[in-house]
Amino acid sequence: MKIKDYLTVAIVACVASVVISACNNTTKTTETSPNPTTPAAATAPTPEMSGMKHGGSKKININSAILSELDKLEAKLGIPALSNKIQAERPYKTPEELVSKKVIDQQQYDQIKDLVTIEDIVLTGVEKDADYMIKLGLMKGHLFVAKELLDLKQPKDAEPHIGHPVEEIYTDVADQLNERKVKEFKTNLIALEDLVKAGAKDMSKVTNNLKESQESIDLAIAALPETQRKDPKFVLQVINGLLETANSEYGASIADGKFKAAIEYQDSRGFIAYANMLYQGIAVSMEKDQPAAHKIIIDNLKQLTTAWPKTMPPATPVKTVAEVGALVRTIELNTQKVITVAAK
Amino acid sequence: MSNLDSPLERFRQRFIHNPLLHRRQLLKYGLAGLGLTTAGLAWQGLKPQPTAKIPPVAANSPTMGNSFSPMQTLRDFDYGTVKQENGRTVREFKLVAGNTTLQLNTAVSFNSWNFNGRVPAPTLRAKAGELIRVSFLNQGGHSHSVHFHGFHPAAMDGIKPIRNGRGTIYEFEAEPYGVHLYHCHVAPVTRHVGKGLYGMLIIDPPEPRPVADEMVLLMGGYDTNDDGKNELYAFNGVPDYYMMHPIEIYQHQLIRLYVLNMIEIDPAVTFHLHANMFDVYPTGMSLKPSHTSDVITMGTAERHILEFKFKYPGEFMFHPHQDGIAENGCMGAFKVISAT
Repeated sequence: MKIKDYLTVAIVACVASVVISACNNTTKTTETSPNPTTPAAATAPTPEMSGMKHGGSKKININSAILSELDKLEAKLGIPALSNKIQAERPYKTPEELVSKKVIDQQQYDQIKDLVTIEDIVLTGVEKDADYMIKLGLMKGHLFVAKELLDLKQPKDAEPHIGHPVEEIYTDVADQLNERKVKEFKTNLIALEDLVKAGAKDMSKVTNNLKESQESIDLAIAALPETQRKDPKFVLQVINGLLETANSEYGASIADGKFKAAIEYQDSRGFIAYANMLYQGIAVSMEKDQPAAHKIIIDNLKQLTTAWPKTMPPATPVKTVAEVGALVRTIELNTQKVITVAAK
Repeated sequence: MSNLDSPLERFRQRFIHNPLLHRRQLLKYGLAGLGLTTAGLAWQGLKPQPTAKIPPVAANSPTMGNSFSPMQTLRDFDYGTVKQENGRTVREFKLVAGNTTLQLNTAVSFNSWNFNGRVPAPTLRAKAGELIRVSFLNQGGHSHSVHFHGFHPAAMDGIKPIRNGRGTIYEFEAEPYGVHLYHCHVAPVTRHVGKGLYGMLIIDPPEPRPVADEMVLLMGGYDTNDDGKNELYAFNGVPDYYMMHPIEIYQHQLIRLYVLNMIEIDPAVTFHLHANMFDVYPTGMSLKPSHTSDVITMGTAERHILEFKFKYPGEFMFHPHQDGIAENGCMGAFKVISAT
């Protein structure tokens, strides 16, 4: 499997981050200890430092791990729905909070304590790939809706959706793009943002630039092995990440039963659109291998999608925030069955 | 008791249907205010300290349709969970970014993005030299982060976006002492802050400041229709709240205000207090005042400690002297209760 390769990469990245954090600490002690009673700052482990101690041994970050990763804990302890319980009690300030928050008892904790961490660990393997693909998927969603708005001749409305990939996501994924030797495309995204900010006067330039940006994201996605990109259990994890984000943003678009923030409505529309495209790519194999889950997922996804009838928000929401939330949860629950079964 | 002829009272009548009911509630829940004074004592240390005279505040003070009450925000300091690690004090805080609807007034509701369901976010408080550890979780949909002002290593600067569903931990030494702030640093920062992702961080000096009735006032602006201009403004989240519900304080009692201007878009505002002069401790980073005035100019993110006592009982307004901003919600009043 490819996991070994990513582990190696992760260790290298880990070492790099130790060096950086060690530098920080030295600076810290020399620069800032106005209080002589304060012991050297080095006594306080920074997340990167303690992450180091564990080197290559892979721990699960209970604050950020995706459900399929948490399922390893669920499987080890044999507690049904433990992954969701762990997720529901986030954030954790220490791993011991799994006990104090009554997610598991002390005995159970003792069995898994060497597997869990709250520190910023370097993601590896499938988890890292899913995280990477979700970020690129969010970018795809933003640009999808940006293009719709540009086609409607609404450059002002399109602008935030071209800005979001750069402002919210690119920095977060830049290291991974480098690692995977993907050509930098931030410059192009910024140029596109500038063009649109200036009123999108030269539409052919805007169209070209947008097309290039979309292709860059596709190339970045293609850096993942094709087998993985076509593997339903992997794609479903990505879809879940997109749906969760769409769910939160949909909630942020409605107040008093009306759409108040078109930007968040459109963001979520883009994520749902891309989630649908991703599902189409695995629909055939899902239908064949997981007919029961497939039926529930496509039915719910279809219903969910009706909440975004047009690029511009409708006068009254088609679905309430609670209805959208319930549909997303149902889909997630059913994808989880597939992901867990496939993992076994 | 209430003077219906005063312009302030008439102003309030526009908003409050039953001011008497409100007063009765205050009396009924008056005892709850004692809790605050005790908490303040514990912070000052074990040796007996004189206490500030603080009028009781109703536990269920008005929210004006919101999930939090600015009357509680005023004197609500989050000292975190205290731990001892390797001989030093660690204060742990928890911040969760999410979305809630704010009722800015009876006509305008607003999709806020915020920390812990309130605007402004909790006022985090620590003492210089302690270790601050903040666990952050983003449930807001958009990517968010927490950027603190003050000294910290680059890795703790909070400019890296944390995407929806993810968490991280920020850890740094509490320094320098003063009034600081924290806010989301994901671009466009104007929108992220304007939506409500900001709060105050107070770092107390090693030796406590003199006992006072302490409160926070954070000025914020709301661009309610995404047109790049603020339509409404507020002290502590809800426009005109302290006009409708004046802050009760005692005559001759030392008042310590921690004031922060977090209004985006408008470059600067002043803070003006009626019928008084305040001592200014710039950025809260001194134990001696730099000067005395009744008006001070603050650019966005600028903050100070202001100290004063009221000589006369009665109601006194405070507001930016950019009067359009004041009249669009950034106004409040102290109700000074006679000491006798």
